[in-house]
Amino acid sequence: MPVDKSDLLQGTLDMLILKVVALGPIHGYGIAQRIRQVSKDVLQVQQGSLYPALHRLEKRGWLQADWGESDNGRQAKFYRLSARGRKQLAAEESNWQRLAQAVALILQAAE
Amino acid sequence: MGWLKALFRRNALERDIDREFRFHIDELTEQNIARGMSPGEAHRQAMLEFGGKEQLTQDLRDVHRPAFLDRAVLNLKAAIRFMRKSPSFSLVVIVTLALGIGANSAVFSAIDAILLRPLPFPDAHQLVLLEQLNPRNKSQDRFVAPVRLADWGRLNSTFQAITGYYTENISEISGPLPEKLTAAWVAPRFLEVWGVSPALGRDFSAEEHQFGGPNAILISDRFWHRRFDADPSAVGKSLLIGKHSFTITGVMPASFLFPDRDADLWSPVPVNAPYSLKRESAWYTVIGRLKARVTVAQARADLATIQDQLGKQYPQTDANVAVAVQLLKDSTVGSARQSLWLLFGSVTLLLLIACTNIAALLLARTSEREHEISVRISLGASRGSVVTQLLTEVFLLAQVGSVLGLGLAAGAAKLFRELARDLPRVDEIRLDPHTVTYTLVSAVLVTLLCGLLPAIRSTGQSLAGSLAHTSGRQVSSRNPTQWALVGVQVALAVTLLVGAGLLVRSFQELARVAPGFDVGRILTLRVSGTWAETADMKGLTQRIDRTLAALRAVPGVEGAATSANLPGVPSQFPTELTIPEGQEDTTRKVMADSRFVSAGYFQTMGIALLAGQPCVDNATSSGVVVNRSFARTYFNQSPAIGHHLVFGVGTAFPQAGEIRGIVADSREQGINANPMPTVYWCLSAPMPDPIFLIRTQTEPSAMAETLRREIHRLEPNRSVFRIMPLTEHLSDAFAENRLRTLLLSLFALTAVSLACIGIYGTLTYLVSVRHREVGLRLALGALRSQIVKRFLMQGVTVAVAGCAVGVLLAAGLGRLLGDMLYGVSSLDPATFVGVIVLVLAVAALASLAPAIRAARVNPMQVLRDE
Repeated sequence: MPVDKSDLLQGTLDMLILKVVALGPIHGYGIAQRIRQVSKDVLQVQQGSLYPALHRLEKRGWLQADWGESDNGRQAKFYRLSARGRKQLAAEESNWQRLAQAVALILQAAE
Repeated sequence: MGWLKALFRRNALERDIDREFRFHIDELTEQNIARGMSPGEAHRQAMLEFGGKEQLTQDLRDVHRPAFLDRAVLNLKAAIRFMRKSPSFSLVVIVTLALGIGANSAVFSAIDAILLRPLPFPDAHQLVLLEQLNPRNKSQDRFVAPVRLADWGRLNSTFQAITGYYTENISEISGPLPEKLTAAWVAPRFLEVWGVSPALGRDFSAEEHQFGGPNAILISDRFWHRRFDADPSAVGKSLLIGKHSFTITGVMPASFLFPDRDADLWSPVPVNAPYSLKRESAWYTVIGRLKARVTVAQARADLATIQDQLGKQYPQTDANVAVAVQLLKDSTVGSARQSLWLLFGSVTLLLLIACTNIAALLLARTSEREHEISVRISLGASRGSVVTQLLTEVFLLAQVGSVLGLGLAAGAAKLFRELARDLPRVDEIRLDPHTVTYTLVSAVLVTLLCGLLPAIRSTGQSLAGSLAHTSGRQVSSRNPTQWALVGVQVALAVTLLVGAGLLVRSFQELARVAPGFDVGRILTLRVSGTWAETADMKGLTQRIDRTLAALRAVPGVEGAATSANLPGVPSQFPTELTIPEGQEDTTRKVMADSRFVSAGYFQTMGIALLAGQPCVDNATSSGVVVNRSFARTYFNQSPAIGHHLVFGVGTAFPQAGEIRGIVADSREQGINANPMPTVYWCLSAPMPDPIFLIRTQTEPSAMAETLRREIHRLEPNRSVFRIMPLTEHLSDAFAENRLRTLLLSLFALTAVSLACIGIYGTLTYLVSVRHREVGLRLALGALRSQIVKRFLMQGVTVAVAGCAVGVLLAAGLGRLLGDMLYGVSSLDPATFVGVIVLVLAVAALASLAPAIRAARVNPMQVLRDE
């Protein structure tokens, strides 16, 4: 079952994007596809959330963008991670880990 | 300036967004085709899946919009809300600022037009006025001989060109009635110096500057419209001036108003006419255009060297000539400079008062909003953002105020033209980009001045403290800052009021002064004439005398005379004289004001004859009359009558005269100047168009038409002009004075009203804050009169302190008024005492209403609310 964008925790989308981009330069369409494939269709990022997030991250300096050619020879905007973005990703990942562990502990305790 | 660049990059951004989306949609389409859809269907589905492109683009725009703009818009919205919520407060602030900024911009527009903007000629900073003067006797005979002008023009190395002109009031007689025109007779290179070309037609040719060459004229745009209805075929037509016909060679542009706005035509003076060749005949006012990057000092040095050489070459005529050089603008602006800066100073004080007033009001208001502000800060707003928001509120009010103020300034330009017609360059005052910019900058400064202090104070308090107590619980609130602001207002208002008071007192003194001659029932007029008539002095004198005789014969005329100057209108012609019989004190130069008057002058003007006889109707007798101070100063021991006076040694027309009579002192050199030693040369025609002074039995203006017709009957080819009562001339002469006094009084009264509003507002606010305390006091047995006294005293104490400071300020600044004062010292006790009494009385009145309101508090009500 696909998850609504409202179900994605605030800030989580940013982290997912950073993570996907960390794998190598990629365009918006690619990011959406990648998130969907990797999450086995659970997470479907809508364009309405994806692009504002991309631009926001770019503006904050965590992503850098260049125009380049896609696999099929079209002009596309490729995003890649900046040094600051890499740091940010690390911070968010560890945060997420802690949060997830905490939530898991509570769920286990409640059982 | 990153956000600015961002704005310019907007288009590029939109293109990028569009390309990025298109790529995404193309990819989706391709994927759909791979799934087996037709290309059309695939694209449609892709578009559908991608969703609202417009909305998304808007979202991205929001992401990229600089945060600064977002905040500004938010602040502005909040400010508008604030304005709507408190309309009366906003109105008070807006009106106060509109008055303050408007008055300031109005005076600035005058300063800009008169003092700051260059004269309306190309590269006007290069234009200078050259005058010749006799360094030995400071004679004001400043006109320059045509040959000397030519010498300067030929020998100098600092000027692009030098030219000269003189004016004449002439009659043009080709129409049904002779029309009086103001003609400027000009030396060669006239238009070259101004850097202006005719709007129509051509400049004078070299031939037209030759003696016996064709008669040519250029006409003014005004005359062209008036006479020819702006018909281009006017060029080539002829005008009849005196006995000669002149061909119009061109029309000058409307902006060319030189020597003054009355100039109707310009005509070349032949350079080689016999009468132009004497070094003694001086008549030109000389204007030069400096070469680029040449300073006035360099030009002065250059001309001094040249004149030195000429002095050696022509020792008779040129040895005692020095050359004075000053910027044409400085000589044009003259005394208006002082008045304008005075007005600007006072109007700036007024704006300061308005700002202080608003600052005090805002302080009261923001302390009411303390709670709101602390809540916002505790919710995470930074102090800076709250300050910015409070400032935005003030800025919005200041902007509205300044726009209204601009309207006021636009109206004031008209007022200046009405009230001070004689102010130099008054036509050039208008609302232009300079003034608008100035006004907007004032609005920003005003915002900072008014808003910064209240904003910083109200956000600076400790959070917990102000959240803890609700505003009503305060028992006593001391507001030293607010009272200090009110005190400053009172001090500044006192300063302005003292200045205005001194000027008003001067004006009263001036009105009270006995001029020594009878001003009432005198009609003045002039009859056109040309300087060429001075070639036949005898004929000219006969003509003037004939006119005088005809005027005296008109029923209703008590006396008539001519004079070269208007009595009482400030003008002097100081000259050095010699007494051939020898003077009593040989070390002292004999200096006196020379006036030229006809027979009947003293009788017409009501100046008493003390000894001897007045000027008589006899052109050949060379008699002079002196006044009492002349006789006292130079003939203390011996009788003056019978001595001779010689004037103008070394000029073309040295004159000698025998002292025949002594008259009483009068203030003919200006009502505002003490009588000075004066010599009256009995000469009815010192110039072709002397001023006729006619004493009438009844209202002088009522006789105007009769007298005009009488002169027209006698001299059908001459025009009569400037018919007006002498009183009107005197009133015009002091128009600048009057304007200055009027405006300063207006500013001062506004200032006092503002200061009172300040006292009233602050006290009203205090009363409302201390409502509970007063109720408690009353409940505990305080008398109502005690309560009234307490509040009243608070207002009056501040007013007293303000007065004390204001008096000190006024005493210090009074000296700036200097020679604008007449008959009062800048420390005039009556003015100071009057101002203090007035300010204290008004302050007490302003305090009384809130004080009484305080005493009306119902103690039961207060206790119940508790």
